[in-house]
Amino acid sequence: MNSLMYDTYTIFWRELKRYKKSRSGVLIRLIQPAIWIIVIGNTFSGTQPLIQSVGFEGQYIEFMAPGVIILTAIFTSIFGGVNTLWDRRYGFMNKALTSPISRSSIALGKMSAISLISALQASLIVGIALAIGVTFPNPFMIAPIMAIVILFSLGFSGISVIVAATAKSQETFWGVINFLGMPLFMLSPALFPLELLPDWLATIAKLNPVTYTVLLVREMMTGVSEGGISALLSIGVITVFVLVMVGLASYVFTREVNKPF
Amino acid sequence: MYSVETRSLSKSFGTVTAVNDISFAVESGEIFGFLGPNGAGKSTTIMILTTLLKPTSGQALVFGFDVMTQPKQVRQSIGYVQQESTVDEYLTGRENLLLQARLNHIPKDQIDKRIDDVLELIELSDKQNDPVVTYSGGMRKRLDIAGGLLHRPKVLFLDEPTVGLDIQTRRKIWEYIKKIHKEFEMTIFLTTHYMEEADQLCDRIGIIDRGKIQIIDSPENMKNAMGNEVISLTFENGNSADFLSQLRQIDLIKKINEDNNKLTIFASKGTEVIPKIFQISSELQIKIISISLTQPTLDDVFISYTGHEIRDDDTIFNQKREHAKMKRLRA
Repeated sequence: MNSLMYDTYTIFWRELKRYKKSRSGVLIRLIQPAIWIIVIGNTFSGTQPLIQSVGFEGQYIEFMAPGVIILTAIFTSIFGGVNTLWDRRYGFMNKALTSPISRSSIALGKMSAISLISALQASLIVGIALAIGVTFPNPFMIAPIMAIVILFSLGFSGISVIVAATAKSQETFWGVINFLGMPLFMLSPALFPLELLPDWLATIAKLNPVTYTVLLVREMMTGVSEGGISALLSIGVITVFVLVMVGLASYVFTREVNKPF
Repeated sequence: MYSVETRSLSKSFGTVTAVNDISFAVESGEIFGFLGPNGAGKSTTIMILTTLLKPTSGQALVFGFDVMTQPKQVRQSIGYVQQESTVDEYLTGRENLLLQARLNHIPKDQIDKRIDDVLELIELSDKQNDPVVTYSGGMRKRLDIAGGLLHRPKVLFLDEPTVGLDIQTRRKIWEYIKKIHKEFEMTIFLTTHYMEEADQLCDRIGIIDRGKIQIIDSPENMKNAMGNEVISLTFENGNSADFLSQLRQIDLIKKINEDNNKLTIFASKGTEVIPKIFQISSELQIKIISISLTQPTLDDVFISYTGHEIRDDDTIFNQKREHAKMKRLRA
């Protein structure tokens, strides 16, 4: 157990080092969510009466800012596993696999690094949101929100690691990831209140862990809860999702890396 | 106990047999080399011995541990330097070694000292805090090798340690390999397709071709068996059977391969053999058209032990593809 933690930290350390040295990537990855919050946030500002009808005061942009924070987390973490493919192609993986560290610590190290990076990216979006005038009724909520983002991202990095370990090529990886990422974001109340979604969409959204994360973060930011889903239920759903993904990712990763690439 | 031992080891990928029933044993402290062309099964064997691939049949043992049933113990006993450079480019040399040290569970209080020592050994101390992206090919290779021996493994696997390096750099790497072998007295198992490399470094060589070991012996014995030099000659008219039988009586000639009117003669002291060849040919009134004297090359060793030339089908194929690509780019 002790060595699993040490090995996980070794991989985590390496991933963070690599992230730190790729400064240009940090900014490039911010462009998309920045466009979302600035463009979509203002485009739909006319929907304010709809937002107010389900109990939100304030601007549409304040309603959707939590959605964009989660969008950042989804895409940073679901893309994050791609370097698994590089590692397998360029030998780092074989180096790690022939050393005494366990296979699951490689997966866990990658996932924990991805989720921390995801939270860092999300916090930059929080900064942008504040800069364009989104207000936090309770600034002390920022730290717990980040904790939720880290937890949620851990689950999504699991998806990424599973796809990367199973895919034999970049093309397959990006194909599957794009197929998963956007629908998971769209089928959630990130941009529109859950109560106002058509029934069938709302039903699907309630099966989506993104929904619970968005609702939880939005409640933490604005103080308004939606659709009768309590914060406790949301935390429960997120925790179960993360535990399942972490377990599944270590299992699939261990199985897949033992096959020749 | 042998450092490395295989018993009837085989590995197939679908219908292709990469390693075909090979058995060999490497003594402790020995530098043992696998010599063979691309696709001969060298890397596959290394990947089985380093627990990356599972054999289809047979057994492979590293320091007595079975790669199938005791992979963890095997991993604790080995260092593995891959063919391609595997250092992280954006990390510094020292950070790369730190990563390697942690991967191999070197006790925390020893890590710094080990890294300092090994950096000094491979003469990279002054560049240790530069990102690897600024290193030359030879420096990267040295760093790769340093990473492989940082935890003082009992067996160090070097897969094509000098492929893609220029000749001076290659010599330098050979010096480092000899130096670390002397310093740490570990067993080294390497693969190469350079005759000179095998000759320079290895105590014993196994020639491997199409997944089979053709012979295992010391480089000296191999060269003596086929002579130190190769005489190629072409001739016309005359009785080639008589010519051959008389040539075979020359003591210094070890072996003759015949291909129509072209002879490849493996001999020691080639310079003394040539006048004798001319003497015989003039007696038999055979006209020699051309003659040359060369050192044995990998080709010659291969012809001698495998009966055919090194087929590098992959390389030819790749070259063709490269040429096609170049043409497209120019167009």
